[in-house]
Amino acid sequence: MIQKKVCMLGSFSVGKSSLVRRFIESIFDEKYHTTIGVKVDKKIVKQDGEDLTLLLWDIHGDDVFQKMRMTYLKGMSGYLLVVDPTRRQTLEDALSLKERVDEAMGKVPSVLVLNKCDLLPEWNIDLARIQAMQERGQAVIRTSAKTGAGVEEAFSKLAGAMLGAAT
Amino acid sequence: MAKPSIYDEFLAHEGVALVEFREDGIFRPLAALPKWVDELWQTRKSKSLRLAEKSPFLENFLAEAEEFWGSKAAGEVNSGNWIERDGAGKQVPLEASAFWLGDKRVVAIRNMSGTFGEQQQLYQTARDSLLTHERLMREIQKKEILLHCIIHDLSQPLTSMRGCFDLLLTKKVAPEIAKFLMTGQRESQRQERMIRGILEAFSGDLPNAPSQKQEGVESADLISCERRAVEQFSAAFMERGVELVLASYRDSERDWRVIGDAARIDRILGNLLENALRYSKSGGRVTVGGVEEGGRVMAFVDDEGPGLPADSSQEQMFALFAKGRDRPGKAGLGLYFCKMTVERWGGEIGAENRPDGGSRFWFRLPRARQEASAKQSGDDASAKAEAEEHIPLQKTARALRILVADDNDTVRDFAVELLRSRGHQPEAVSDGITALARIDEVAPDVILLDQEMPGMTGIDTARAIRKKEGKGGARRALIIGVSGDGSEEHRKLALEAGMDAFLTKPFDRADLFRTVEAEPRPLSESKPAQGVRAQAAQDGNLRVHLNEMTGGNEKILKKLIANFIADTPKKMAAIKRAVLSKDAEKLAAAAHSLRGALAIFGAQKSVAARNLEMMGKEKRLEEAARELGVLSQEVNRLGEQLHALQSPRKTAKTESAARKHRR
Repeated sequence: MIQKKVCMLGSFSVGKSSLVRRFIESIFDEKYHTTIGVKVDKKIVKQDGEDLTLLLWDIHGDDVFQKMRMTYLKGMSGYLLVVDPTRRQTLEDALSLKERVDEAMGKVPSVLVLNKCDLLPEWNIDLARIQAMQERGQAVIRTSAKTGAGVEEAFSKLAGAMLGAAT
Repeated sequence: MAKPSIYDEFLAHEGVALVEFREDGIFRPLAALPKWVDELWQTRKSKSLRLAEKSPFLENFLAEAEEFWGSKAAGEVNSGNWIERDGAGKQVPLEASAFWLGDKRVVAIRNMSGTFGEQQQLYQTARDSLLTHERLMREIQKKEILLHCIIHDLSQPLTSMRGCFDLLLTKKVAPEIAKFLMTGQRESQRQERMIRGILEAFSGDLPNAPSQKQEGVESADLISCERRAVEQFSAAFMERGVELVLASYRDSERDWRVIGDAARIDRILGNLLENALRYSKSGGRVTVGGVEEGGRVMAFVDDEGPGLPADSSQEQMFALFAKGRDRPGKAGLGLYFCKMTVERWGGEIGAENRPDGGSRFWFRLPRARQEASAKQSGDDASAKAEAEEHIPLQKTARALRILVADDNDTVRDFAVELLRSRGHQPEAVSDGITALARIDEVAPDVILLDQEMPGMTGIDTARAIRKKEGKGGARRALIIGVSGDGSEEHRKLALEAGMDAFLTKPFDRADLFRTVEAEPRPLSESKPAQGVRAQAAQDGNLRVHLNEMTGGNEKILKKLIANFIADTPKKMAAIKRAVLSKDAEKLAAAAHSLRGALAIFGAQKSVAARNLEMMGKEKRLEEAARELGVLSQEVNRLGEQLHALQSPRKTAKTESAARKHRR
């Protein structure tokens, strides 16, 4: 069975752990629980009729308190770059993180995840910028860990990109 | 069973598994393993452990550890925290370190359960605090918006009062009445300064903050506003799969003019459409239309959404910072702005459920009367005549050599034409470096320096000129800084750089002549535009405003308009390019250039350009595309007004001549 390592990257409190929990356990908790270090979970998905094991590395939010170690990314096949669009700075942080990752890891499939789409009216990011990124080939998906919207699609899109990149 | 050694007991107490790395990813315990190792990885009492197979995290770390051992470096390499789950689903926090112990490659894996909770609590508190701080900042921003709304509301009646005092003082009145009028004028000016002081203290540019504008005399064509709104929002609706239609008017040929300002009716319709879109599902339809109701016209936005909540009241819905429960808007200001604006024009606003489902948001405005427009035109002519009588038109007896440095063609040409018409000898340059180079040749009496020029700012140029004068013993020229920013801070910088006076854009010929012809003295600012022109500019009465600025000089006016019409598309294109390419620096420069040109036609005309300039300077381009839309509308509207001005001027001039003749 094919196995792929997927990392969840982004600032703190953007919903990385909530997305993993929604994806694996179909659960959402309103209360924010900060992640320390790394949690690794596993889920088997069907991709193009084949079983694919996703090793989900939920890595703590990158901030002044905890800097993400690039060594965590070793062997990574793809990553979800998660943004909380109600907090403009999380997009800036995500893009700067992406630059660091691209520099360290080379070109790895990624999906930019605009989480919290249940709070759409409070979004405060430049969507034209996102559109420009999409036009340049960056996969972008709107999700809500709270409602589940777009969550399966985000992982599935990344899985497809990882398998595509592998072939 | 062998009794555990003190060494084993100590490691068990500390929760540490000490293992030696052998070949092929196999580990050998160096001491008895703590209980948690078996609970987590079912190691039993095996002497040969394949830990990498048990934990993907450890597998990743071991690759790092092997690199470390290979390097023969001193010290250790640490994995950082990670969490494993045991068979019961319980989370076990761990941390590993790799090091050399004698000639053994050793890994120590620690169970962090004892301290992890405390550490997590610490991070949780810190991050919660950061989130709270971010929320507070957003709340403060809302409060600032509220303050702006209040300040603007306070300013509006005051602006009317000031206009009335200014106009009355141009009439012949008894001295005792004039005394009261002057007191009223002085006090209203004082109060306006105080209000502006507060506004400047909170000078963050805010969306939807009502502008200072005289109400009640302007009229707008409702059909045009609705057409514009539908056009502007069609893309957003299309993206969401919602149909946006303009209802067919029963009689589109007749007059649908209402009391109100077109730009703000556009905003009201925009807010209502955003609201409708928020509550519409894909496949739904939103209809914009108007209904005649005697002396009033009702505009409406119908949607097919879920309708209004049963327990919602109109009062709550249109209150400040009111937000819907399911799909709230950004700041809860949209509907409040609509209510405030409509009521100020003597209208009303409301919302109701439609019988077939969905909701209708509507507003009623009084129909504009023909005589109101006619009266306003008459006032324009009267004001123009009064203005012509009060501003001296004769040539100066003391012709000055004046060097005008401004990168904005429109502003520079305007200043040069005015100065030439006065009998001065102006020379124009487009940047500070050229101004400095031409000092010896021109030997100017006066130098006008725009503050924000490419290459060398006005401040830097003034410093360089003063230095040059100091070295060469040249006569000291009067240096005047020209800027749209008349703040104290800016004036102080100008003074420190060696400037003598300050001229705030937009200026008129009286401001310009008064400042240029003054003797050198400590830094002062030309008085802000007063009387008829100030009122005209604030009212948006472009004809009176421009006539006052140019002194009725047709040649200058024509050139001013021709320059604007020729240059503006290029300037707009530069702004659009900068917005599309997300180039903040270019956006700031392009918006600054257009703002200078727009400022000539009245300060409030350049609000969107100013916003874009600030967005560029502060590198926050999120709302730039939206602001560009507002700017396009403002520029188009101004262009239309300027085209329309060219023929009615004749009528106004004729009326002015007739008034003089009657006297």
